[in-house]
Amino acid sequence: MEKKKWLKKGLLVTGVLVFMMLTAVSHVLAAPAPPTIKLGAVIALTGAMAAGGKDVRAGYEIAVKHINDAGGVFVKEYNKKLPIELIILDDESDSVKTTTRLDKLYSVDNVVAFLGGFSSDLNVVGMATAEKNKVPWIGVTVAAEAPFKKGFKYIFVPFSLAHDQVTTFYDLLDSIPQDQRPRKLGHMELQVDWGKECGEYIREMAKKRGYTIVADLKYAPPTRDFSSLIMDLRSAGADAVFSVPTPPQSIVIVKQMKELNYAPKMTLFIRGPDLSTYGDAMGKDANYIVSDGNWDETMRYPGNDRVVKDYRAKNPDVTSIGIPVGCAYGAMQILSKAIETAGTLDREKLRSTIGKVEMMTVRGPIKFRENGSAIIKYGFRQWQDGKNIQIWPKEVAVGELRLAPPWDKR
Amino acid sequence: MKHILLLAGIVIGLALVPLVITKAYILNLIILISLYTVLSHSWNILGGLTGQISLGHSTFFGIGALVFRYLWVMGAPSYLALCGGSISSLLLASAIGFPAFKLKGHYFAIGTLALSMIAIITVQNLFPGVSFSPPQYLSKYSLVPIYYMAVTVSIIAIGLVYALTRSKLGLAFISIREDEDAAEAIGINTFKYKVISMSLSTLIAGLGGGLFSFYVASYYYYVPFELGWSFDPVLIAFIGGPGTVIGPLIGSVCFVLLKELFAINLGQMNVLIFGIVFILTILFLPEGLIGLMKRLQKAKRFGLSGRLRDGSI
Repeated sequence: MEKKKWLKKGLLVTGVLVFMMLTAVSHVLAAPAPPTIKLGAVIALTGAMAAGGKDVRAGYEIAVKHINDAGGVFVKEYNKKLPIELIILDDESDSVKTTTRLDKLYSVDNVVAFLGGFSSDLNVVGMATAEKNKVPWIGVTVAAEAPFKKGFKYIFVPFSLAHDQVTTFYDLLDSIPQDQRPRKLGHMELQVDWGKECGEYIREMAKKRGYTIVADLKYAPPTRDFSSLIMDLRSAGADAVFSVPTPPQSIVIVKQMKELNYAPKMTLFIRGPDLSTYGDAMGKDANYIVSDGNWDETMRYPGNDRVVKDYRAKNPDVTSIGIPVGCAYGAMQILSKAIETAGTLDREKLRSTIGKVEMMTVRGPIKFRENGSAIIKYGFRQWQDGKNIQIWPKEVAVGELRLAPPWDKR
Repeated sequence: MKHILLLAGIVIGLALVPLVITKAYILNLIILISLYTVLSHSWNILGGLTGQISLGHSTFFGIGALVFRYLWVMGAPSYLALCGGSISSLLLASAIGFPAFKLKGHYFAIGTLALSMIAIITVQNLFPGVSFSPPQYLSKYSLVPIYYMAVTVSIIAIGLVYALTRSKLGLAFISIREDEDAAEAIGINTFKYKVISMSLSTLIAGLGGGLFSFYVASYYYYVPFELGWSFDPVLIAFIGGPGTVIGPLIGSVCFVLLKELFAINLGQMNVLIFGIVFILTILFLPEGLIGLMKRLQKAKRFGLSGRLRDGSI
C-alpha cells in the first residue's frame, strides 16, 4: 500500500519535472527571434502621385523611429521587443509596378505585412496583390469603396470612404448661413472608381439635401487641360465645385480657374490641396481651396505634437503638413499594436487581430468594420492666408469656412 | 538533330523550373521576360521583319487584355479567353489597323501612334474602374499556371518568327522591309503581305495582352493601353536585334532585369537611362546585341580585332 503511494507520488513528481523540462526545452528549441519585424510598403515616390507618396513615406518613417526608439514592438512568441524594419519601394505612380514590387516584398523580403502607398488609384491595385499573397495590408489615403465589396479578408483601411466624404461635404455646405450658401453645384467627375462613387453620392444626396447640380462633367485621369470644363461650370453658374483630381490636376484646375476668372464660392478638391507641397506650388492662389482634413497638425490626440515636431525638424520650410503624414503614422500605430496583441509574426493570426484593433491614434479613435474599412470621423481643411486650416468637424476645427471672393479681391 | 535535342532540353528545363525554384520573385521575373518577349516579337514581325514601324501595339495588346479579362471573369477557361483576346485583336486590326497601310513610312508610325492615343482615351472614358481578378481565383492564387502560360505563349511567338525567317512568306516580308517599291516591281503583292504581317503581329500582341491580364491580379482597364506598351517593344527589339529570332528574347532579358535593378535603386531615373540606352543602340549598334555578337564572332574568326574597333566590320 505504502509502495503504491510512493509510486504515485514518484510518477506525479516525474510528470511535473518532465513537463517543466519540456517547457524549458521548447523555449530553447523554439524558432530563434528574427532580428527585426520586416514590413513592406510600395509608395509612389516619383511620377504623378509622388507629392502624396513622399508624405506617406515621411509618416511611416517617423512612426518607425518612434517605435524603435522605444525598443521596438514586444512579440510574445519570442518574449522580447523587436525593432521594425520598413522596406520601401517606389512604384513610379505606375499601378503595374505596384503589383510587381509588392510581389517582390512578399517573396524575396518575406515581409510580415504590407503598408499602403498614396492614392486610391494605386492602392486598389496593391490590395488585390496583398489578397492573393495572403499578406495583411493596412492602407492610407484609400477612399474607393469598390475593394470592400469584393470580400477581401486581408485589407484594412483606416481612412474615410467616398460616402463619408460626400456626406461631410453636404454637412459643410449646410453649415453656411442660408443667405450666403451656394445652392448650384458643379461636379467634375474623375473617371476612376473613387471619382465615380463620389459622383453617385453627390447626385443622390443633392436632391435630398436641397441642392441642384447645374454642371455634371467628366474627365479622364491623364487630362491636362480643363479650360472647356471650367467654361461649362462658369456658364452653368455653379457656385460650389466638387472633385477628386490627381495632385498635379488639382494645381492645373485652380490655375486655369484663375486664368478664366471663374471664382465659385467654394472649391473642394479632396486630393491634391491636402499635401505638403501644395502651398509652395500655388502661393496665394491656394487660399480658399477646401481639401481633405483626415488629419491635421493641430489635432490634440496623444502623440500628435511629437509627429509634428519631428516632421518640422526635417522639413522646416513646409507651410502646412500634408494629411498623409498623420494618416501614415496612424496606420503604423495600428499595425504595431496588432503585432503586439497577436504576440506573433504569423500573417494569418495578425490578420485576424488587426480587424479587432480599437485604439486611439494621432488622428483620433479608430476601429474597423467587418469588411476592413474604418469607422472614423471625416473632416476638411481650407487654405487660409497661406496655411491649411482645419475647419471641420467642429470639435477639432481651429478656423471657420471662408467663402471665396472674386480672384481680383484675393 | 543537335538543334532539336537542344530545344527539347530547353523546353524540359523550362517545364521543371517551378518544381525547382520556389521563390515567387524569380517566377515573376521569368513571366515578365516572357511577356515582353511576346510583345516585342509581335512588334518584330511587323516592324523588324516587314519594316513597318508601328507605334500602336498598345492598342492590340490592350484589347487582348480587355477581352481576356471579360471572358475569364465570365467563367471561360483561361486558354479559351486567351484565344478570344488574340482573335479580337485581329478583328480590331482588320477594322481600324489595315486602313493605316494607306500610310507609308513615318506617316504609318504617326498614324498608329494616333490610334493608340485614341484607344487609351476611349477606354479611360468607357471603362473607368478597376478590373479585379475573380475572388475565387485570388483565394487560391498561384504563379505556376501563369508561368506555364507565359512560357508557352513566348515559345509560340519565337517559333512563329523562326518559321517565318525560314519561309517564302518571311522572304516576302523582308523584301518589303528592304525596298517596298522594288518588291512590288518584282511582283510581290506588298499590300497582301503587309496585311498578313499585321494579322500575325496583332494575334501575338493579343496573346500578350491576355497573358498580362492573367498575370496582373487587378489593374485599371486603361493600363494595358498605355503608350509604354507601344514604345517598350520597339526599344526591346532594337536592343536585342530587330528582325531576328533571338534578338527580342535577349532584349527582354536585358530590359526586365536592368529595369528591375535600376527601378529599385534609381526610381524613375530608369526611364532616362533606357532612353539613353536606346539612342546609343541606334547610333552604335543598329543591329542590336545580336549584331554585336555577329561582329565579335567575325572578328574572332579572322583575328581582326583592330578592324572591329575601327568599325569596319
